[in-house]
Amino acid sequence: MTDLLNESDFRDALEQAMTGTMAKDASFSRAWATGKLDRKHFVNWAVNHYHYVGAFADCLALIYANTPDSARDAKDFLLQNMYEEELSDDRHTDLLIRFGEVCGATREQIMDRRNAMPYTKGMAGWQYQLSATQHFAVATAAMVVGLESQVPSIYRTQYPVLIDEAGYGFTEHDCEFFDLHITSDEVHGERGYQIVLKYADTPALQQACIIAVREAADMRFNYTKSLYETYVKPDLGEWVEPTATEARVASLV
Amino acid sequence: MPCIRFETTDRTTEYPAGESVNVLRMAIRHEVGLPWKCGSGRCGTDRILVKEGADHLDAPRRRERERLGPLLDEGYRLACQTYTSGDLVVTWDPEQKGLDEGSELHAKLKERWLAAPDST
Ligand code: FES
Repeated sequence: MTDLLNESDFRDALEQAMTGTMAKDASFSRAWATGKLDRKHFVNWAVNHYHYVGAFADCLALIYANTPDSARDAKDFLLQNMYEEELSDDRHTDLLIRFGEVCGATREQIMDRRNAMPYTKGMAGWQYQLSATQHFAVATAAMVVGLESQVPSIYRTQYPVLIDEAGYGFTEHDCEFFDLHITSDEVHGERGYQIVLKYADTPALQQACIIAVREAADMRFNYTKSLYETYVKPDLGEWVEPTATEARVASLV
Repeated sequence: MPCIRFETTDRTTEYPAGESVNVLRMAIRHEVGLPWKCGSGRCGTDRILVKEGADHLDAPRRRERERLGPLLDEGYRLACQTYTSGDLVVTWDPEQKGLDEGSELHAKLKERWLAAPDST
């Protein structure tokens, strides 16, 4: 039986659980960050991402319902996270649709679930199942630490090349979805860690959280990889990391 | 290791060399007592005065430019929007509130709550 980890070791274990499967390192993310994608690939991404993140607030609501009143700070965090996704400013999925429309998609095309990959639908189902059935600390570990806390690291490599004129050449307005998430998910990710560190208070719960984070990171990594396999590989072939000089925007690699 | 000194509450936090870290995330992680609310550049509650280390900071982001306006030139930043990759010293008013009670954003939110349900 594993002992109860102290806070610092538990946090290290949660971080370690994502090692090797960070979505920023998946082929689609690397092709994006090195300037290899076309607008049609971004349309495909927007469609799938809508059906992946569209489930997020619903899932937080399921976790909220499973969180006891005694964990008031955790409940408040979940509620605030939902509020920020949906209402505090522009609805986040609307910002995503705005980017997709700039790339040539229609709102209807993006919102039509039939246009998403089977993997994306499966991932959304996995999120619902986990959020509805697991202890709130375990579900928070998966949804917030494993998925949401990765967002700044992904978009910090993808956003600069989007708005660089020598890169993809979008405007800051077109790309607000990314800029907003770089910073807001730093806060959400950190608060998620705090909730997990506080409420996973038995060895079994800690281990369940570590497994959930590993599984979530794996899901996101493979979702991102599937985007490349499905939409980009027919155009560019197997992904090969370009050298700095080969990349379209060498300074941003 | 580089460090961030949160002078107002007399706290210092370190982070690994070579990393670029979000200032509010560090403040939350180490519970240094910096006030904040939205975490996304809207409320202005987490404004900090940079006393040392401005050269190590990322350029101001769009929301930060819009929210702080001329305060940027006076050395203020929003902790939630700011990344540092070197030593930093910051202070703030412990009593500070958001910048925008009664602002356009509040009006927009109010309008939203009172609006008809979304059609989508
Ligand atoms: S916390 Fe609201 S602007 Fe930074």
